[in-house]
Amino acid sequence: MMDYQNQLKLQAYLDGELPEGEAREVADWLARDRDAAALLAELRQTQEALTGFEADIKLPETREFFWSKIEREIQFQDRPVRKPDSILTRLARVRRFLVPTVGLAVVLIAGLLTTWRSHDSIETSLEDSGAFTYHDYAAGTTLVWLSYPANSEVADEDDFGTLE
Amino acid sequence: MNSLEVFTVEKMTENDHSSVDDQVLVKAAQQGDMAAFEELVARHRDKIYARAYSMMRNEEEAIDLSQEAWVKGWQRLAQFQGESSFGTWMTRIVINLCLDQLRKHKRQRTESIEEISDESGGVERQMPIITVNPTAGLERGELRQRIDRALNQLSYEHRTVLVLHEFEELEYKEIAKVMGCSIGTVMSRLFYARRKLAALLADLKKEK
Repeated sequence: MMDYQNQLKLQAYLDGELPEGEAREVADWLARDRDAAALLAELRQTQEALTGFEADIKLPETREFFWSKIEREIQFQDRPVRKPDSILTRLARVRRFLVPTVGLAVVLIAGLLTTWRSHDSIETSLEDSGAFTYHDYAAGTTLVWLSYPANSEVADEDDFGTLE
Repeated sequence: MNSLEVFTVEKMTENDHSSVDDQVLVKAAQQGDMAAFEELVARHRDKIYARAYSMMRNEEEAIDLSQEAWVKGWQRLAQFQGESSFGTWMTRIVINLCLDQLRKHKRQRTESIEEISDESGGVERQMPIITVNPTAGLERGELRQRIDRALNQLSYEHRTVLVLHEFEELEYKEIAKVMGCSIGTVMSRLFYARRKLAALLADLKKEK
């Protein structure tokens, strides 16, 4: 029975994987050993049987159909992928609109205040600190609140009733 | 790229694609010419599919993997520098995809009987030598069928080593690198695969 290492060496000889010196030794051995020669012949037959095996295998799809699948996949994978926004990106986007929005808000508030001031006002009568006047020019209405008894009179009454 | 090549690529119309060599088509495809790439697919699709089929032994998987290989080929086209032929470059892509797929399969199933016997000492050492050529006198179609059946009975490790050595013509050390094992393991697996294949072909001859 041939040694396993020698069997592998025989195979390496067939595959051209042995250095020149070793290949010569194997060639000498093959000339003397019939079993070794028989094994080499078997290995060679198997190798030859496989020659050209793949050449007979054909893709079972038409050129057009096979290409259409590849083309579709290429286009699918090449499409631009939108990544989710990072916080910084979102902030930058918000900042872009922040200045005009704030500016607009300031103008609107100022406008509203001006309009409101020009139409409605609360005035305090100097003559009588207990009376408040409200003018609505748009509605053409004037309201007056009178807080009687006047604060000064109440104070006087309080003073009056205090026992020392 | 020299001026002549630029001229060739720019002037190439769809009808010209079939008449130019791979190198020109690759250059055109690298510049985004899909029609040139389609011609390359048409030229090499059978070879790429055949390699996938040899390794996977499943028509559907082989079609899917060869298609995936072509998509990857398009995406990596800029990396192709022409050190090997375009066909060889594409074959390496499909082989790597098949190896990944086979590894996934392996993780999902238990070891086959062949693998166990291989690990436990190797029955190939005791196999009688086949002295009569089991494929002698066979017609090409029948020979292909028999090899097909025999290859189906090999484990994926043995079949892959055989395919990489016999069809891809890789050296032992290259196979070891691709498969992530030692050269000794490659030699052992290749020896087993060949001896098993010879025995299976002899059995098929007897059945006949």
